[in-house]
Amino acid sequence: VPEQPRRSFRQVLLGVMTVQVITLAVLWWLQSRYGR
Amino acid sequence: MHWINWLIVVAYLVYVVTDGLRRAKGTSHIEGYFLANRNLPWWAVGLSVMATQMSAVTMIGTTGQGATDGMRFVQFYFGLPVAMVILGVTLVPFLHRAKVYTAYEFLERRFDAKTRSLTSFLFLVSRGMSCGAIISAPGIVFSAIFGWPLLYSVALIGIPTVIYTMFGGVQAVTWADVKQMVLIVGALLLIVIILVMQLPVSPDAALRVAGAAGRLQVFDFDFDVTKQYTFWSGIIGGTFLMLSYFGTDQSQVQRYLTARSVEEARSSLLMSAYWKIPLQALILLIGVLIFVYYLFQPAPMLFNPSHDSRVRAADPAGYAILEQRYQQSFEARRDAAAALAEAGAADAVGARVFVAAESTLQAVRGEALTMAGAVTGEQTRDVNYVMPDYVLNHLPLGMAGLFIAAVMAAAMSSIAAELNSLSTATVIDFYRRWVRPQGSDAHYLKVSKIATAFWGVFACLIAVQAGTLGSLIEVVNRFGSFFYGSILGVFILAMIPRARAVGAFWGLIAGMTAVGLVSFGAPQVAFLWYNVIGAVVVVVVGMLLSMGAPAGTLVTRDS
Repeated sequence: VPEQPRRSFRQVLLGVMTVQVITLAVLWWLQSRYGR
Repeated sequence: MHWINWLIVVAYLVYVVTDGLRRAKGTSHIEGYFLANRNLPWWAVGLSVMATQMSAVTMIGTTGQGATDGMRFVQFYFGLPVAMVILGVTLVPFLHRAKVYTAYEFLERRFDAKTRSLTSFLFLVSRGMSCGAIISAPGIVFSAIFGWPLLYSVALIGIPTVIYTMFGGVQAVTWADVKQMVLIVGALLLIVIILVMQLPVSPDAALRVAGAAGRLQVFDFDFDVTKQYTFWSGIIGGTFLMLSYFGTDQSQVQRYLTARSVEEARSSLLMSAYWKIPLQALILLIGVLIFVYYLFQPAPMLFNPSHDSRVRAADPAGYAILEQRYQQSFEARRDAAAALAEAGAADAVGARVFVAAESTLQAVRGEALTMAGAVTGEQTRDVNYVMPDYVLNHLPLGMAGLFIAAVMAAAMSSIAAELNSLSTATVIDFYRRWVRPQGSDAHYLKVSKIATAFWGVFACLIAVQAGTLGSLIEVVNRFGSFFYGSILGVFILAMIPRARAVGAFWGLIAGMTAVGLVSFGAPQVAFLWYNVIGAVVVVVVGMLLSMGAPAGTLVTRDS
């Protein structure tokens, strides 16, 4: 039983990091393609 | 504004108040009133956390900042996901399992009563004042664009919020936050769609033109502590700020104390970790697109209509000359932007011509802003009027009403959470702790409602006096930044078993003093770094003083 929340927290963490990496990649792309 | 727009605003206000009063039925004792019996689902708490953080300034000021300064402000939030993950595994389990009403109550269990009372008092002073500022910011904008006295705008936002918060308690606050968040995000998405459709150039050309004007510079890797928004101030200073705000500020802590379990409290915080940066980037992008829109559509020289009419009346001849120069520079910039949009990516000469035209126009606008400042004696803050000007004059019928309702929703969600938490800290940390420890539940519930009303009236009075209290509010906000990081330091100490009460109290004083010294001695240091300095000094001084001090009561994660 204690393993389940830890695993799910790790999964959520992975999700958070994935969304942040995608967002930062999009912002980076915006700056490198259109920025000065 | 058209009556249909007003109808939308009135419908929103009636709905939010009646729905809040309906929630009052479930709150017959203080655990229900302050913590919804610790039984709210994670997604509602998560939306409430996000709605509390998003104020009217986000809707009005941040979009304006996107239009005038570009995307770089998004770096401010880079530390937020990091902070949320750290809080999820550290402070959230401590606070939730301790079954406390306030974060400061936990400090008494861990250290002593004076540390609790001092931190709670600092929260009451700063949040009481900032609540007034949260009401006054949209109030001033509404007054300028609709020509009302500030009192009317403050009453329109403040009274409904006080009513549903006072009677409905945290249940009303949270469920109103959920609906307000849906309204805010829905309105923003609709505006993006309409804006893209209204642009006379393709999205690719629009971004190219915005990029040439420097509006798409997102990242700044310069490690310069005097710059407000850099990658490093965001990721380091921002992490400490967000740890302080979400981990130790009662207005946020109270949101996730209402969650059913530690897991749900964690999940509610992680919702912000997921969505805050994308949402903030979207809001800034709206501002950037409005900048592009106004390259092709005539925009007022001064966006603040009140300042525009006052300067026009004070110096009609001088203002007319300036307007003529503005019109000429607008036409030159429009032609340069159109040429750049048509030419494609490789047109370096076209980009230079456009940038020069943009600089000329901004110089004229700068002169107009200086003139407005001299005539009105007020800070211009013209950036806050860019978005309202676009919404009121360039969007289809109904959208202005929806936007005004969304701005009110953003303001009300923050105000309601703050009133609710101010009341909680007043009653739990002071009234029940020092004045009447043995009162009945019904008595505390009555006092809680009175405290909510008191803070509501206090915030509205501060908001109405915002013009004359402007410098005082700034002083309090500056004072607030002195202790934000320091309070975080106390909570970090609380999780270190060897830390003692004497270290926590004097460490807090030392941290605030250190930040105060940096603030006055080196005012060029960006405020985000204050949080790092405060927290580090408290932990270092606190641990030094704790060495040799007698052992106190320890609260472990499972107690």
